[in-house]
Amino acid sequence: MRLGKNIIIKRKSDIMKIAKIQTALLLLVAVVFSTGCQKVFDIKPKDTLDQSQMYQNVYDADAAVLGIYGKFMGLADRYIILNELRADLLDCTQNADENLRQISTHAVGVDNPYASPRPFYELILNCNDVLENFQKMRVQKKMTESEFNQRYSDIGALRSFIYLQLGIHFGRVPYVTSRIKNVDEVKNPDTYPVIGFDALLDSLINFTEKLPYKELYPVGSNLNITVDGYQTQKFFVNKKVILGDLYLWKGNYQNAAINYREVMETGTQGVANGQYYSLYKVGWDSNGDVDHYISYSRAGDASTLIQNTQWRIMFEQPFGSSGFDREWVWVLPFDSKFNPENPLIRMFSPIGGSYTVRPSQLVTDMWNAETQRPAQGGSIPYDARGLLSTKQIGGQPVVMKYLYNYLNFNSLLPVNPLAKTGKWFLFRQTHLHMRFSEAANRSRKHRLAWGLLNSGITGAFPAPGSDVTNFHNTLNEAFPFNFDARNSGSTGVPFYRADWYRNIGIRARANLVDIAVPASDSMLNIETNLIKETALENAFEGTRWPDLLRIAIRRNDPSFVADRVFNKLIRSGVSSGAASTARAKLLARDWYLPFKW
Amino acid sequence: MKYKHKLQLGALLGAMILMSLGCKKMTEEHNAIGDPMLQKNVFEVISQNPSLSTFAKYLVETGLDKELASSKSYTVFAPNNESLILLDATVRANPAKLKQFIANHITEELVRFSNATPKKRILMLNGKYNAIAPFSIESAVSTQANQYASNGILHTINMSVNALDNCWEFMAGNAAAPVKQRAFLQSLFRNVFDPTNATIVGINPTTGEPIYQKGTDSVYTNLFWRNVHDLRDETKQFTAFILADGGWDAERAAYARFFPTGSADSTTFATAWNIARDFAVDTLYTPSGLPDTVVSKFGAKLPINKSSIVASIKTSNGYVYVMSSMPVAPALRFATRVIEAERYSGVSHDRRSQTFFRDRFNDLTRRPYSDVLVLNHGIALFNLRYDIPEVPAIRYRAFWVAVNDFQTATFTQRLGVGSPLSTLLPYVNVVANTRGEVFLGEFTLTTYSPVLSLFLTAANSTANAANPLVCDYIKLVPSL
Repeated sequence: MRLGKNIIIKRKSDIMKIAKIQTALLLLVAVVFSTGCQKVFDIKPKDTLDQSQMYQNVYDADAAVLGIYGKFMGLADRYIILNELRADLLDCTQNADENLRQISTHAVGVDNPYASPRPFYELILNCNDVLENFQKMRVQKKMTESEFNQRYSDIGALRSFIYLQLGIHFGRVPYVTSRIKNVDEVKNPDTYPVIGFDALLDSLINFTEKLPYKELYPVGSNLNITVDGYQTQKFFVNKKVILGDLYLWKGNYQNAAINYREVMETGTQGVANGQYYSLYKVGWDSNGDVDHYISYSRAGDASTLIQNTQWRIMFEQPFGSSGFDREWVWVLPFDSKFNPENPLIRMFSPIGGSYTVRPSQLVTDMWNAETQRPAQGGSIPYDARGLLSTKQIGGQPVVMKYLYNYLNFNSLLPVNPLAKTGKWFLFRQTHLHMRFSEAANRSRKHRLAWGLLNSGITGAFPAPGSDVTNFHNTLNEAFPFNFDARNSGSTGVPFYRADWYRNIGIRARANLVDIAVPASDSMLNIETNLIKETALENAFEGTRWPDLLRIAIRRNDPSFVADRVFNKLIRSGVSSGAASTARAKLLARDWYLPFKW
Repeated sequence: MKYKHKLQLGALLGAMILMSLGCKKMTEEHNAIGDPMLQKNVFEVISQNPSLSTFAKYLVETGLDKELASSKSYTVFAPNNESLILLDATVRANPAKLKQFIANHITEELVRFSNATPKKRILMLNGKYNAIAPFSIESAVSTQANQYASNGILHTINMSVNALDNCWEFMAGNAAAPVKQRAFLQSLFRNVFDPTNATIVGINPTTGEPIYQKGTDSVYTNLFWRNVHDLRDETKQFTAFILADGGWDAERAAYARFFPTGSADSTTFATAWNIARDFAVDTLYTPSGLPDTVVSKFGAKLPINKSSIVASIKTSNGYVYVMSSMPVAPALRFATRVIEAERYSGVSHDRRSQTFFRDRFNDLTRRPYSDVLVLNHGIALFNLRYDIPEVPAIRYRAFWVAVNDFQTATFTQRLGVGSPLSTLLPYVNVVANTRGEVFLGEFTLTTYSPVLSLFLTAANSTANAANPLVCDYIKLVPSL
């Protein structure tokens, strides 16, 4: 019906003629529709599923869950760029484009694709759609109550996680929980008013707390199986971790600690074996593939840093191996065998990728400022996690954590140049312990927090003699701060092997000396050190900006984030003017990206 | 509507007629090369230009005309007839030299001249490099730039670009170079072991090492190329010095006392070698940019007295300065040697599992360092060996940094000169937590050593507390 558009109409009769033709055509269409409509047009496609046929049984529901997670994986590069490049551990290389530089220097333009909230909302609307359909299925008895509970809670918790990300990066966002077709409707402030971060946290806690099921998919479920060589259990968000995070942001330390503690006790069931004592407990197992220590084959000989197992191996280990399972809480795999394609090799690798981001000079300096535990006299004057988290390739510093399934750790050459396998790391036990400690520290359990950070619970509550009955524990505290780590050794009387006896602490595991705490200001000091330790241990794993921002908000001290970003920029060679501008912006509490697309 | 219909019909008819009739010709004309010059190759363009007739003649003479008529791409910098009148008669008479000279004006790189042409060196057809800049090559200026041909670009230039000798060709081959140092450089040709192209004829049953066919296991090469700089390399740029005979003799006479050996001949050689090896650096210093001191590859500081420069020779890969004399004080020539202890050449016993390469932070210097510690090795007089090349017969002051941070008890170790048991230097105490340099004593070498072995020797004891070895670095300071 675009007839009239390009013709310059000069005479009235022409208009009449066009009108006649239009009428005729309209009539024809009307006739076609009224008579044959149903049969002519409503043919169901043969090779794709129509929406009306989509949700028939639990297998369809499982497909919907996996579909959501497949789409979620499309956010991997964005997640890392926003959470790390905005903070101080990740920096741009010469290959980085203007958009990445804007993110790094906090000078984000409105059309910067990395700063668009649209992909987050697309996924949220997909979640909303799936959640509503799940509810319909329950009503229509297409799923059992327990099947519904598991799947509904999973997608609900994932949506809360995405909203938390939106809150962290955009501050004020619309909270949409209903099903809408067009993502652009989200921008309509009349229908969906924007709410502040704090109000958003309230809504999210309210929603997530009410989810009917907070455990993992049980063994025997179709979502806890091995497919394509991948054990799927770790694919899915841990609901209690999300709840813990929400409470921690909100400042409800008791509830945060409760949720984190419940995850820390995941292994405490069944037979008392290695898994019982070390799953999510930062516990040893006398097996390099499980311990994940920083260690040397001969202590004191710096040239013997162990790389083929121990700390580095956790990034290379396959899904389902015990070392992997005891460390990681939430990981998604990228594999050349299935979509989506791995975007992380493109970001990080100079081999087979475009190498747009690199470790900042600041994080290198942070690792180099640490001191290891003495061996053969003095101490090695750096944190060896730096040597394993990054490597020099062709004289350039490279973030290696995401590349160990692609590049051989020793030769630094691709195992198979075209098979770009890798993992998206979201959460592991060190995050868990650091955040539990953060909550514990704010709940005035300073020594417990210090212990989990340094040399474990036994290190914080040492026993003077062989009778450990009244030491190695915090059983005088109420849940969630009551740990029993009593270990009598093989000769001590009475004999103890308590649930937490293998816990060794984050810094002991990394072979670093304990942090001394001044008596005058233990709380802030421990908190700052917890955040620093997460940087050293979990650098580039997508939690740095939230960590800095959370503390800045909690202490009402914008310099906590501003100074660190400033230091990164200054040491990376950005002009002092640009660095100062970024600092001033963050000092003025202008932490958020523009909510535009 | 009718009006429009007619128009459309007409247009359609017109298009059909055009298609059927004129189609072929139209496309031909569109794709045809309009510039007649682009139908000719570079050689044809040159030969049609009367002001380039001499150059064209030489191209034919040297056979390069066929090259320029081929389908590769070239940039030709063609000197005009007037400039070629000045061509050296020896070059003109020698076909090989003439070809070198002509090929020095042709490159396979496409060079378009503009004000933004980057300054760089380009590879010419004769293997040499010439510097280009906007509208110029070396000192020649383009009079008519950017004439395009089917297989390249032609620039007419106002001056020919001579194919210069490279640094090595001048220093070792040119009659204008001073005789004695030139003869010395030529005397440095040796057959040097190099199994790259060797034929293996067997395996030694006792050592397991390959046996090479005689004559294939070595290359005939020059020591200067291998051990100092390969001055033939056209891709790099060098600055080299060559002494007039008087200056060369004076310098050798002054230095002979530092290189005493068993025979007069070898003393003469060692002296000359140790002087000559400092006379080339892989940095380009033009006559105007020549600094007052040049530091050689071996750490010698050569004072440059500009009034001693007899001639500055521009070569294809740098500059050679002919000096009337270039006296270098021994204190400037003999550099301090720092030997990193963890990079030893050998050990007296295999004690790798008692050897620790430690990374540490030095509170005194505020710097991280790596050192070596051998602990609990159980061998009296256990030692690490360091091979140091080309050590003159002078007096040295010795120091080390040895950090004993692993035991409170003091222990002793010694620097053995030439032998682990040498008593030139005494056993020195290694006191706990001393992080500074410790003076070990002075020693005098009476003969020149092509390779001097130093030994870090542990105490003559099997007790673990008494015989550790630890060292960050050893420093030998010439005491002149």
